[in-house]
Amino acid sequence: METLSRRGRTARAVATVVAGALLLAGTLWGQDDDFPFGPFRMYSTAPGPDDDAPDTRVEGVDATGRTVVLTEANSGLRRAEIEGQQRAYVDHPARLAQVARAYADRSPDAAPLTEVRIVIRWTGVEDARPTGTSSDEVIARWVAR
Amino acid sequence: MRWLFEPVPKGRIAAFRTLVYLFVAADLVVFTPWVRHHADTPGELYQPLLVGRLLHLPTPTPLLVHGIFWLLLGASVAAATGRAPRLLGWTVFALYFEWMVVAMSYGKVDHDRVGLLVALAALATVGRARHGDPERTEAGGWALRVTQIAVICTYFLAAWAKLRFGGVDWVTSSVLARAIIRRGTDLADLIALVPHLLIVAQAGIIAFELASPLIFALPQRWKNRAVAFFGSFHLATFATITISFLPHLVAMTSFLPLEKVRPVCWARGFAARRRGQVREHERPVV
Repeated sequence: METLSRRGRTARAVATVVAGALLLAGTLWGQDDDFPFGPFRMYSTAPGPDDDAPDTRVEGVDATGRTVVLTEANSGLRRAEIEGQQRAYVDHPARLAQVARAYADRSPDAAPLTEVRIVIRWTGVEDARPTGTSSDEVIARWVAR
Repeated sequence: MRWLFEPVPKGRIAAFRTLVYLFVAADLVVFTPWVRHHADTPGELYQPLLVGRLLHLPTPTPLLVHGIFWLLLGASVAAATGRAPRLLGWTVFALYFEWMVVAMSYGKVDHDRVGLLVALAALATVGRARHGDPERTEAGGWALRVTQIAVICTYFLAAWAKLRFGGVDWVTSSVLARAIIRRGTDLADLIALVPHLLIVAQAGIIAFELASPLIFALPQRWKNRAVAFFGSFHLATFATITISFLPHLVAMTSFLPLEKVRPVCWARGFAARRRGQVREHERPVV
């Protein structure tokens, strides 16, 4: 059997305790920013059983007047990434010009976007089940000048 | 202490190593190709994580992103062969870690990677290991044990995070209904119609996450069953909201006696039998 030296054991034990302590601290006090030691907060919020559910999309209007839904494939940005920076887009809608640029870089053959907006579709929920009703809300809009 | 270093056959390390490094290569090309799209994302949208700021990691450029992609692809395929395990192991770990910082620095952090990152760091500390080698190794035992701990932390600490961010009301909240509205499949839409089913599912999720550390107290046969149960949970998650947790599942194979999975040997044996060769125990007794 291949055994570890005393030093090898100690170094590994210390690394285990340090990494474990960081992960525990991240869970107790950390945020996503502390990756890889942040909290495992996927689906950890508790919306009320009758709270409407937001379904966010990013859409653009191109020079031909066509509405295009911006996706990971045509803009290189994931929807969740837009949501993660949502506050910044709402406070500074001009930031959406960067999304139009990302679309132009990823889809060079497509007509350029003259408008980009973040839209939330609010779907009704009752007793923790979707009701099927919905309404749209534009929370940030950038228009090319 | 003895538990942390419980020796395992080197063949298990070799198998786990091949699986993990091949997954890294597949992850780059097949499972998360969107990371590469950040080569074209304007630098203004880059919001580096704390670790990126501490290490002064550069803002991704096309050269950086494509450079890491090709280097990592080559290094991970080479590492899957088991050669130069420390040099290639640390190279893959460093490059994949930076790849993850690029992936997570645009506003969304995924939570399915910790087990895999721990596996990559720990595997780099284990020396050479040949497929099928029955000799036991304490360094390899530690590498698998810390990967297992990271996998179980992903469940147990996720329950803790639910209590921190959602409170006990999480169990009766509409969190799963929200998930289904956002990204539900047709199957999920059907499930969502059943009264109280989502609430029962939420109670079940938090119960199994809190109970997950019990896997360490189980004998191997039951460990295999527990892994199958965890796998079925992720299968159900994928079937309903298309979230796979694949990197986590790869790390979870650290619980299994992988040295028994010998696809190359099986293929060789099959080919030999097709050529008419028979092994000693297959000869008729006369």
